[in-house]
Amino acid sequence: MRLELREITKQFPGVLANDRISIAADRGKVLGLLGENGAGKTTLMNILSGLYRPDSGEILIDGQAREFRDPSEAIGAGIGMVHQHFMLVPVFDVVESVALGAEPVTGAVRTFDRVTARKRVVELSTQYGLDVNPDARIEDLPVGVRQRVEILKALYRKSDILVLDEPSAVLTPGETEELFGIIRGLAAGGTTVIFITHKLNEVLEVADTITVLRRGRVAGTVLPSQTSREELANLMVGRDVELTVARGPSHPKDVVLELRDVFVRNDRGEMAVKGASLEVRAGEIVAVAGVQGNGQTELVEAITGLRHLDAGHIKIGGALVDEAKPRKVADLGVAHIPEDRMRDGLVKAMTVSENYILDSYHRSPYSSGGRFDRDAIAREAQKGVQEFDIRTPSIETHVGSLSGGNQQKVIVAREFSRPVRLVVASQPTRGLDVGSIEYIHKRIIEQRDAGAAILIVSTELDEVLALGDRVAVMFSGQIVGVLPSEQATKEAVGMLMGGVH
Amino acid sequence: MIPILAVISAFIVGSVFLIFTDIPALQQLFGGQPLGFLGTALGNVVKAYTALLTGSLGDPSRYADALRLGTPDAWATAVRPLSETLVAATPLIFTGLAIAVSFRSGVFNIGGDGQFVLGALGATATALLMRGLPAPLILVAALAAGIVFGAAWGFIPGFLKARTGAHEVITTIMLNYVALQIVQLSLRTDFMRPPTGSEPISKVIDFVRVPALLPLPGLRLHWGFVVALVVAALVSYFMFRTTKGFELRTAGLNMTAARYAGMSAGGSIVLAMVVSGALAGLGGAFQVLGTVTQMSNDIDAGYGWTAIALALLGGTRPGGVVVAALLFGALNNGGHEMQIETSIPLDLLVFIQALVIMFVAAPDLVRKIYRLRARGTEPGTPAEEGAAA
Amino acid sequence: MTAAAAPVNVATPVASEAERRAHRSARIRGIVIAALGVIAFGLAVNTLGGDVTFKFWLQQQGKAFAQVDTSPGELWILTGLATGFTGLWQLWRGAAVRWRLWLVLWLPFWVVATMGTLLDRQTAVLTNLFSSTLEYAFPISMGAFAALISERSGMFDIAVEGQMLVGAAAASIAGSMALQWLGPDAGAIAGPVIGPAAAALSGMGIGLLMAWLAIRYHVDQIISGTVVNFGALGLTNFLYLRVLQTYTDYNTPPTIEKIQIPLLADIPVLGPIFFQGTPYMYIGWVVMLVLTYFIFRTRWGLRLRASGEYPQAAATVGINVIRIRYRAMILAGAIAGFAGSYLSLHSAGSFQMNMSAGKGWIAIAAMIFGAWNPIGAFGAALVFGFADAAQQLLSELGVTIPPQFLASVPYLLTVVVVAGVVGRVRGPAQAGQPYEQG
Repeated sequence: MRLELREITKQFPGVLANDRISIAADRGKVLGLLGENGAGKTTLMNILSGLYRPDSGEILIDGQAREFRDPSEAIGAGIGMVHQHFMLVPVFDVVESVALGAEPVTGAVRTFDRVTARKRVVELSTQYGLDVNPDARIEDLPVGVRQRVEILKALYRKSDILVLDEPSAVLTPGETEELFGIIRGLAAGGTTVIFITHKLNEVLEVADTITVLRRGRVAGTVLPSQTSREELANLMVGRDVELTVARGPSHPKDVVLELRDVFVRNDRGEMAVKGASLEVRAGEIVAVAGVQGNGQTELVEAITGLRHLDAGHIKIGGALVDEAKPRKVADLGVAHIPEDRMRDGLVKAMTVSENYILDSYHRSPYSSGGRFDRDAIAREAQKGVQEFDIRTPSIETHVGSLSGGNQQKVIVAREFSRPVRLVVASQPTRGLDVGSIEYIHKRIIEQRDAGAAILIVSTELDEVLALGDRVAVMFSGQIVGVLPSEQATKEAVGMLMGGVH
Repeated sequence: MIPILAVISAFIVGSVFLIFTDIPALQQLFGGQPLGFLGTALGNVVKAYTALLTGSLGDPSRYADALRLGTPDAWATAVRPLSETLVAATPLIFTGLAIAVSFRSGVFNIGGDGQFVLGALGATATALLMRGLPAPLILVAALAAGIVFGAAWGFIPGFLKARTGAHEVITTIMLNYVALQIVQLSLRTDFMRPPTGSEPISKVIDFVRVPALLPLPGLRLHWGFVVALVVAALVSYFMFRTTKGFELRTAGLNMTAARYAGMSAGGSIVLAMVVSGALAGLGGAFQVLGTVTQMSNDIDAGYGWTAIALALLGGTRPGGVVVAALLFGALNNGGHEMQIETSIPLDLLVFIQALVIMFVAAPDLVRKIYRLRARGTEPGTPAEEGAAA
Repeated sequence: MTAAAAPVNVATPVASEAERRAHRSARIRGIVIAALGVIAFGLAVNTLGGDVTFKFWLQQQGKAFAQVDTSPGELWILTGLATGFTGLWQLWRGAAVRWRLWLVLWLPFWVVATMGTLLDRQTAVLTNLFSSTLEYAFPISMGAFAALISERSGMFDIAVEGQMLVGAAAASIAGSMALQWLGPDAGAIAGPVIGPAAAALSGMGIGLLMAWLAIRYHVDQIISGTVVNFGALGLTNFLYLRVLQTYTDYNTPPTIEKIQIPLLADIPVLGPIFFQGTPYMYIGWVVMLVLTYFIFRTRWGLRLRASGEYPQAAATVGINVIRIRYRAMILAGAIAGFAGSYLSLHSAGSFQMNMSAGKGWIAIAAMIFGAWNPIGAFGAALVFGFADAAQQLLSELGVTIPPQFLASVPYLLTVVVVAGVVGRVRGPAQAGQPYEQG
């Protein structure tokens, strides 16, 4: 079926998420929808799947205008969604998950006809080469297989239009290749596929047409054969993709952070970090690249004392910190910029000044003998606000009402307010505007030049390449390579990230 | 604004129930006298609420008498309702503070009842054990025992939550019932039981008594009330001016951020529950040492549950809790007067208190009823969008 | 493969730590159980001299009976054998043993032997014990069903206690009114239907109110539950004191009588236990079976569980989570209210103040104990009901153990289970979490 969106507009308080977006996808073709974080892709897809209703504009299927009041109507119109975060009930098995919402039933009490549903799941998985054990519980399945279940869900509903939202975000390169195979097969069978991503190579590889979104608008629609990576990148970000950061040469000195054969488990008890070894010296930035979910989160949590070490050793400034708690690690002069600032780094309903002292509240001058010195706190917080150019009405403003960039600056100001020997920064600029990104990068480099050791973990390759004096690549729980910045080209790092080494 | 409207709304709903359970009036209605019904029923409502008011604050004519006569007896008569209101508010301040501390710390302590009764039991037992020693010594020891017993009963669910993740709502509720069983069991022992009688009450411990606050005859108001106010101030200081209080508030708002900031999540949970239990236990101790002088089966009178209303009504701020406790103390005490004067059961006020919690917990509902403009944001704020994109 | 999907044993120095831990705890469990077996034998030595008689009615109460003469010592020997065997089996087979299932084998022996010891030189009628267990278990199991329906849909329902209490009052008032208005003859027939129906309706009203507060006005479900419990107590006490106490005609409902199921009631021993009870008992069995089927085998159940586990996932496939939750809360309210009618129509024959007396909380305990599963919850309710019945039997026979010990058992067991001391159970993932429709 041909799908067309015309002039879709969706306004959220303060944000025009979709501004007169028009896209079209023909039957049996793959439309690549390319855009950065916040370009409006997800809003557009939520409109398409009936979760949101557009303020204006229309959805046409085979030329007919359709209106979806809820997801079931979108499903009824033949639209199948594969969400970025899998929409699967962990304790259900595959048959139940696939059939949910479209269950075959028998009898007056609508007994779930598992036999029929199972038969259909098996048929579909054979037909489309989606290898899945229909009786396995979702929570026992690896991510790649869960995605197949999601696709089966759409096929089960006889979706003629399949929307995949960032499907490769959690996949290994091998799994991604398999996915592309599946997509091509589906398209060949007449399914219209909309493939949402921010990865240039993927759209070039799999899409028949590419529409690029930028800040809620269509930045351009191109054919893969008539475009280049550079052009796509430009359309996507609206500037040169090269992120340049003014930084002088590094002067590495003593080893500050030392990792030796570190093993760490994730929340599900699986080994996420499998024998990682790395050194970071004073006065240098080591940037860790890698696709999300390759153990970076767990590694950082282990370094900062938030996660138990299964084996191996971590030394900070020569002191063994295998068993250290976060407070002890911080006391060693470690500044930690956590991955998810709203979840890990800030307390939304507390004020800027309270957040400013969040991990130093027990120290002088903020408190003594367990009692706060309110004047000292106000003074120091005010200083931090000025020094780091935090745009806030006052230090008594709740941090939740600040913009993302200013929230991150509160964290950076707080972490750099202590004597810093080692900076551990996870995704330090995720979701921020360009100005804030540059500002935070500048501050990190200042710390390096002042003699701190810096460990940056980022899934943004640009950031890694721009900042790293050395670039380490993490893949499947291991550090698979460490390259000096002059050897760290996109290609070289990209290969390592994809597990080619 | 919302709390005041919530209280008003609760009273209006309460009146409706009063009217439709007024059988004599209803008989008028079915007898074909709708106006007579309205007159009788509304008259009864006004009578009830007037009795509630004079019962909680005092009768103006009595105050006038007291001013005219100036005798201690006249003053005692005039002030007695007010004194009783403060007496009734005292345990509520303690339990309200207990629950407010736990809510602020992100822990749902529904076990105020159990902590309160065990505090009372601990105080009683200590007093009985130390009988014969100097009264001030017994008093201090008994109050301390109340704190310890309450804190211990708060520690158990706190520890279980910190160690095993056991949901504190379930454990505290279950422990409430266990605490009641412990009290019943202990009230059957010869140590606690008066030599004669089979009522579930303890020996009278009038040999130790929290001193009276007013130099007027026959008033029950004791220094426990003042201590309650001081404790409220201390709790406020603790929560907002000390590092431990900061840790509790942080844990209450964002447990992950607290952990990242190097605070001990488990420690905060346990501390919050211990402080909360200690406050409730102290309330129980003052109740038995200052107000009732005797441990009994029904000493709790649902204070632990009322406390949830108080904490919410007071915005989990100690000052707010004190105001809310004074209000509820007035209701409970005035309710007695109402029951005596108009034979409308005191339990109406329990129902009204429940309605107050409901309205306070649903501010949007109150705004809608009174057509106030909402302050909050609409769904789908930019922050959420950004996160979803 | 991603890290998450990688086999765990790739070059990991602590490959089978979980396994080793399981083995160690299995061994400890085996040793503990075996030691209990030894203790049972020790108790047997001390109690060999006594004797106790267990009596079973064959047909109806007070008529023909069968009896078993035994002694505490013999009972303890059996207990020791069963327990010791289990312990040794556990030690031999290690972690492979499904030890929770094995509890059923040896734990009842302890109960029987303990009772035998307490009842030394007495005669106990076990038929009555079992039938009153079933009766006592009824309100608990129904309350547990109510709680588990709402939790399965993703809503906390800690208001079972309040719903039962209001149900009890509503049933009594409605039943009495039926008697008053329809006259004694018609009323006696209609009352037992109208009373429970009114109870169910009142429970539905409360369930609807709670769902409305939680969904529409974002009231924390623990708060709204507290409101209901607290308000129900105040309201019913108020009604009782203001109306029912004076106008006793409104609190004299027709009671619900026991019914003998033809043929089945004549089965020896089993008949008096299972088939000579009130209609409530039979309804309890039916609800358990129907609910089990519906939750685990029907479309409704699949969607209900999805709403409780992952509402967003349910919503994306077009399921109306909000509607499911409303309906679940209303259904739960109906069941809890209906359970309340048992209290005033069967046991007491009138409404009394605070007559639910914590049964709603024991019901929640039973739900947790039964792992959010109707059959499990029913089993837990039987255990708790047995504690009640045994306590009553013992006190009738003049055995003086303080009733508070047994009364505390359900609460303490729940704390233990929630804390995961004896095998944690897992509830619906999103229970109590607010859900916003996009």
